[in-house]
Amino acid sequence: MHISEGVLTPQVWVGGYVVAAGLAAFSLKKMRTDELPKVSVITAIFFVASLIHVPLGPTSVHLLLLGLVGVVLGTSAFISIMVGLTLHALLFQHGGITPLGANACMMGIPALIAYGIFNLRKNFSMKYGEAIFGAIAGAVAIFLAGICLALLLALSGDEFVGVAKVAVLAHIPVMIIEGAVTGFAASFLTKVKPEILDGRALDASGY
Amino acid sequence: MGKKFGSFFTLICLLGLLVSIVTPAYAHKVNIFAYAEEGKVFTESYFPDGRKVIDGKVEVYDSQENKLLEGKTNKEGLFDFKIPKQDDLKIVLIATMGHKNSFVISAAELAGDEDEGSIDTSSTANTEKETSVKKTSARRRHAPKKEPLPMAGVLGGLGFIFGLTALILQFTSKKK
Repeated sequence: MHISEGVLTPQVWVGGYVVAAGLAAFSLKKMRTDELPKVSVITAIFFVASLIHVPLGPTSVHLLLLGLVGVVLGTSAFISIMVGLTLHALLFQHGGITPLGANACMMGIPALIAYGIFNLRKNFSMKYGEAIFGAIAGAVAIFLAGICLALLLALSGDEFVGVAKVAVLAHIPVMIIEGAVTGFAASFLTKVKPEILDGRALDASGY
Repeated sequence: MGKKFGSFFTLICLLGLLVSIVTPAYAHKVNIFAYAEEGKVFTESYFPDGRKVIDGKVEVYDSQENKLLEGKTNKEGLFDFKIPKQDDLKIVLIATMGHKNSFVISAAELAGDEDEGSIDTSSTANTEKETSVKKTSARRRHAPKKEPLPMAGVLGGLGFIFGLTALILQFTSKKK
């Protein structure tokens, strides 16, 4: 889902950088130093997970884990994704340097929304709330990334509805897998280390 | 310290689980490869995990960036066209969902193809014919079907992430 070099018009990729810079500043401002180990581990997971694919029948899909990054890191998710995407562009030429800001917005904003969706669980006292809202957050993040991709390409001259259909349909298997992975991870972490999901540091003094 | 290690261990296990259930490949970019033969340029387009690019838009430009022609890849990811001009040709592949890549085939290579063609049609020495066939076969085989995971890049990226974190933590702890 990385937009390649030369696809976006200058207005769109410059706009992408402006929005990404604002969100990165917000993300950095909110991040505490003691969260760094957690952020670095999740960034590493995002960096590696995006490079591998799951064979699925005649086709294959690759993971993005936007929901998981958002659920675990909260507002720090944006800077984590931006670092991961920068490494993808520099080391593997996935995406590109000029569309980096737009790619960061395309994946980072859905991750932030996933965090918001996951936080809604606090308004409902239900069994398996973390698993359910984690799964919804994971699936919705991929759906929104597909919509953002279509929107960015539409701003560069492509037809929105056609691209959105292709992007969303192609990522339905990813939505299902990531919904399951995020739901399972949220449920698992709630049982073994709930402070990870509450936005506190791994080495929090609140033990 | 024990709890801290436990949390890290949990996250590392999750990463390990993910890596173990999947196989390495990429779907983040597209590749296009082209070669000239018998007055035509043949292109092959594929994703690095070996899948063909179907219905990908192919545009051909000369060295002055003038568009000469365009077309679409077939179900095999192939598209061919007659050599439109003896010039460096830039062949641009635009696949779905923001994927794009290009391949430049030089005027010298296009001219070389014509030379090879003349060898074939003039029916001169058999050895020359064989050389020509071998060259063509080598070109076709050049198109990779599946790229391996670049471990050096992966390790370099992970090293950068954890190294940067260690540096920041070191710096901030000294400050305190």
